[in-house]
Amino acid sequence: MSVSDFIKGLPIHDSNNFTHLSNEHGIRTSQKRASVYLPTEDEASEQLIVMDKRCVLLRYLTQQWDKKTLQRKREHGNEGNANSSTPIGNGSNSKKRPRIDPNELN
Amino acid sequence: MSHHYVVTAQKPTAVVACLTGNFTSPTDLNLIIARNNQVEIDLVTPEGLRPLKEININGTVAVMRHFRPPDSNKDLLFILTRRYNVMILEARMVNDSITVITKANGNVSDSAGIPSEGGVIAAIDPKARVIGMVLYQGLFTIIPMDKEASELKATNLRMDELNVYDVEFLHGCLNPTIIVIHKDNDGRHVKSHEINLREKEFMKIAWKQDNVETEATMLIPVPSPIGGVIVIGRESIVYHDGSNYHAVAPLTFRQSTINCYARVDGKGLRYLLGNMDGQLYMLFLGTSETSKGVTVKDIKVEKLGEISIPECITYLDNGFLYIGARHGDSQLVRLSSESIEGSYVIPVENFTNLAPILDIAVVDLDRQGQGQIITCSGSFKDGSLRIIRIGIGIQEHACIDLPGIKGMWSLKVGIDESPYENTLVLAFVGLTRILTLSGEEVEETEIPGFASDLQTFLCANVEHDQLIQVTSDSVRLVKSATKALICEWRPEGDRSIGVVSCNSTQIVLASARDIFYIVIEDGRLVEKSRKTLAYEVACLDITPLDETQNKSDLIAVGLWTDISAVILSLPDLETIYTEKLSGEIIPRSILMTTFEGIHYLLCALGDGSMYYFIMDQTTGQLTDKKKVTLGTQPTTLRTFRSFATTNVFACSDRPTVIYSSNHKLVFSNVNLKEVNHMCSLNAQAYPDSLALATKNSVILGTIDEIQKLHIRTVPLGEGPRRIAYQEASQTFAVSTLRIDVHGRGGAKPLRNSASTQAQNITCSSNILPKPGGNNSTAANAEVGQEIDVHNLLVIDQNTFEVLHAHQFVAPETISSLMSAKLGDDPNTYYVVATSLVIPDEPEPKVGRIIIFHYHDSKLTQVAETKVDGTCYALVEFNGKVLAGIGSFVRLYEWTNEKELRMECNIQNMIAALYLKAKGDFILVGDLMRSITLLQHKQMEGIFVEIARDCEPKWMRAVEILDDDTFLGSETNGNLFVCQKDSAATTDEERQLLPELARFHLGDTVNVFRHGSLVMQNVGERTTPINGCVLYGTCNGAIGIVTQIPQDFYDFLHGLEERLKKIIKSVGKIEHTYYRNFQINTKVEPSEGFIDGDLIESFLDLSRDKMRDAVLGLELTLNGERKGADVEDVIKIVEDLTRMH
Repeated sequence: MSVSDFIKGLPIHDSNNFTHLSNEHGIRTSQKRASVYLPTEDEASEQLIVMDKRCVLLRYLTQQWDKKTLQRKREHGNEGNANSSTPIGNGSNSKKRPRIDPNELN
Repeated sequence: MSHHYVVTAQKPTAVVACLTGNFTSPTDLNLIIARNNQVEIDLVTPEGLRPLKEININGTVAVMRHFRPPDSNKDLLFILTRRYNVMILEARMVNDSITVITKANGNVSDSAGIPSEGGVIAAIDPKARVIGMVLYQGLFTIIPMDKEASELKATNLRMDELNVYDVEFLHGCLNPTIIVIHKDNDGRHVKSHEINLREKEFMKIAWKQDNVETEATMLIPVPSPIGGVIVIGRESIVYHDGSNYHAVAPLTFRQSTINCYARVDGKGLRYLLGNMDGQLYMLFLGTSETSKGVTVKDIKVEKLGEISIPECITYLDNGFLYIGARHGDSQLVRLSSESIEGSYVIPVENFTNLAPILDIAVVDLDRQGQGQIITCSGSFKDGSLRIIRIGIGIQEHACIDLPGIKGMWSLKVGIDESPYENTLVLAFVGLTRILTLSGEEVEETEIPGFASDLQTFLCANVEHDQLIQVTSDSVRLVKSATKALICEWRPEGDRSIGVVSCNSTQIVLASARDIFYIVIEDGRLVEKSRKTLAYEVACLDITPLDETQNKSDLIAVGLWTDISAVILSLPDLETIYTEKLSGEIIPRSILMTTFEGIHYLLCALGDGSMYYFIMDQTTGQLTDKKKVTLGTQPTTLRTFRSFATTNVFACSDRPTVIYSSNHKLVFSNVNLKEVNHMCSLNAQAYPDSLALATKNSVILGTIDEIQKLHIRTVPLGEGPRRIAYQEASQTFAVSTLRIDVHGRGGAKPLRNSASTQAQNITCSSNILPKPGGNNSTAANAEVGQEIDVHNLLVIDQNTFEVLHAHQFVAPETISSLMSAKLGDDPNTYYVVATSLVIPDEPEPKVGRIIIFHYHDSKLTQVAETKVDGTCYALVEFNGKVLAGIGSFVRLYEWTNEKELRMECNIQNMIAALYLKAKGDFILVGDLMRSITLLQHKQMEGIFVEIARDCEPKWMRAVEILDDDTFLGSETNGNLFVCQKDSAATTDEERQLLPELARFHLGDTVNVFRHGSLVMQNVGERTTPINGCVLYGTCNGAIGIVTQIPQDFYDFLHGLEERLKKIIKSVGKIEHTYYRNFQINTKVEPSEGFIDGDLIESFLDLSRDKMRDAVLGLELTLNGERKGADVEDVIKIVEDLTRMH
């Protein structure tokens, strides 16, 4: 397949486009710029994009919490955290994980 | 306080993004181009691209994409700015005018996020369900699209991949699915993530491919039904859809990196790829139909040809492409199925781009107080010098080679009813030639009634369908229809006619001291009166002041000997007013004219200067005398009409158009080198044109309506870095970077460029030893390795020919350049600083300062000195060389033995990148410690630190505005002004340079230079501006910073505040927010700067809105405070626009 075959049948939106463009005088150089759009009528934006300001971690935890609470309703009293290295001190329902993950020490 | 006005003279030209879609209507094909803070909407038409509107965004466009909502037949535009503002825009066409609606807007920044290292990326789901963005490390920001909701809730999703290179949405997925290229310790990988829009989290990884090419940078999603993604690497292309996998490694790819693509057809079989070398490729996916649907069976890549180094590409229609560029001109190109010299790409149109402007020189070659700017523009193969000057342009339509023209007039001969002229009369020494214009053709003819063996002094169509020809012998009256002589008037004896002027009914002529007044009647020339004046007549004029009249009541005469302008009344030729012109230079051309209802007398002298007066129509009294220098040669004044107003053309070595605006005369340069004679021409094939005679030819052309910047390009084929002008040798020195490639026989240039084609080429023989001994970088280079070769080019100031190229041996690079006169040495030298840039070193340790002399077409090295670091900046300092070398600022003295000797030294910087000097004071711009003011104590021979700005800033350019005021540009696109407080009471306060003015420009200024684009001291100014500093930016913009007084600042600030309310922001980013001075998290309001671009937009408002804008605004006029009216403000703003 040659390059010419590649270029054959390029998409056409309107076959008239660019037909009156002559480049017999060589390459044209253009500096022309369109007029500047100066709106003076206020139109309210249809939609406002607002950022969810909640921290990613917090949102993750609340989501987990929601899932967990559902779970806990079924397996009440069972701590779902499989982290065995957590020192079980006062036996409370502490959700805190140890601050230092062994991997992070490196 | 410190008050400044900043305005753009040349808008940014670098293209950030471009795309094609249906925006203004479902059937209109639009090209959208984003440049820095502007978005341009073009329409694709049979005539080519038609710019429709330019939209200002109060922010810097970082990403622009488009999408089509599922139920729509039009596309919408999505824009993300550098400050994380997002907007969705819709263009609507209402009665031929565009309205741009902000469909949605907001800000998606996260104060705690760490900006992603690969830059911001945004992609839109093909079904327009969600917009996804990579803004911060480890986060993926989504904006779910919901047509019904009044609020779109953008959310950050946690993403495991930290170093992301590209993100796209895959086609044909049930849930929105992204695909990313990311990097970890093992290499680069491609991975897909499915997004759960309801839970706002990633659900699962549909598929992934570990260890794709180590330099994979770009993803191209393939539309349905094929689906999958193309991964573009440095050397290979991979197609992957989770199960099916194909790879190719085209050989031609090795040279450079693919950096942009455009999809050609909707089915997604063909793509255009552009690389950073400016090569265009086409990628073709070969497919086959299987039971599973359409699958890719192979990938083919072919090179099509060369284009500008692209930033973005988009396919328009019928084989035409738009190439958006930031290193060279953007282009409209056509793909041809036939190859021309191996290329399938035919360039059709270039769109001027000045970016990046790395350095500028402002020179006043014509010594008129009007600067022209020479920029170092573009990079690599698209590098060029651009010569920019302001003026009125002549669009040349035809050119006839005819040397020696002494006069020129256009006539209607035999076609008195026609509105068009058909004849050009040309006077030469001792003969007259007549040209007929039939259509576009020009042929020589004869008018029997005219004397063709004499030089014509004047020719005109006059009353009763007659023609006039005046020669030194006689006045000849010729019937237009028969072309036959019907009457002739001769002065008595053998006296010859010296000067003459006429209108359609009257002739006035002079022979030495005698002046004759003749009235033209049907078939007769009637002498009405004559008079002998005190001195010989040098020039005269009888143009009627009232344009509706065909006769004049006054004659203006310029006299020899006493050098005066005299007004005579008609018909008795009585002297009614005499005005002595001071000086010795005789008047050469005098003209009465009316601009905007005011009568003027213009009188041009033999030295190119011109006096002008306001003239009383009845008394002939001349008042308001003013003088202006237009050229250096005798000037001839001719009137012409253009766009229904009277203008005057001053023919000289500096052709100028004189017109009136706001009842003030404006003098505007014409973009032609020299015009000796001109006449207006309104022929059928050349309507509303001018005929201009230059030294060797006649140009037929039309004239621009307004003055504007004219840009001429001198292509170099390699990247210019620094420029210096040297008046003594009439040359520019330009340092350039050329990239050579190592072959088997050593490094060779890839292509011809300025440094390889210079008239003389020399090579630096003195190779500095590399610290550490082994001087082998160049010799041991691998085949195919690129090498930076720095050259010093000496370029002629007029022809821009490269006279000399001096090549440095890699790794020696030119870091700075200047022209200087040193010590008592009568020569002017080029001072060049170099350094050895070795990749392993954090900073170059060794460099040189070399003194070159360019004389008699030879470049000789006069001296050199070794320096221990990079010399970033050079400044001539009281006949010495001031250099910023690494962390030092050093002063070198030029000894009588022609050697550089270090005189003093101060180390107080991280890296002294920028230096400016004024008197004994030195302003230093540091890499990161803002600006410092030093003083050189001549007696002690030391530098003393006077004051410094203690707020850290990464500097890009500095300039001294006046003794106490200093302008800086820093890397986040901010400008600031610091002021020395000499009156402070404590030493501590005096050592500070407090920041008094600040402004967000939104573009990075690379260079400041004092100078002006328009003629200084010409005409009157109502705006009190002080000084003028020009700047050039990364995005190819050129602008002006000037100081203004407090009361004018207050007035403009009031106008600015009102305009902010009246002009609505597209995308709803507040102007105040945009102009806030922001460095990382530090935000301070803009102050001390007036946004000239906003002020100038006042002139484009409707009258009603103008009235709203000036409501309650006060201004001081002639010491009196009063409420401003629209006219006052228009005048002031128009005056401000005349700075550029």
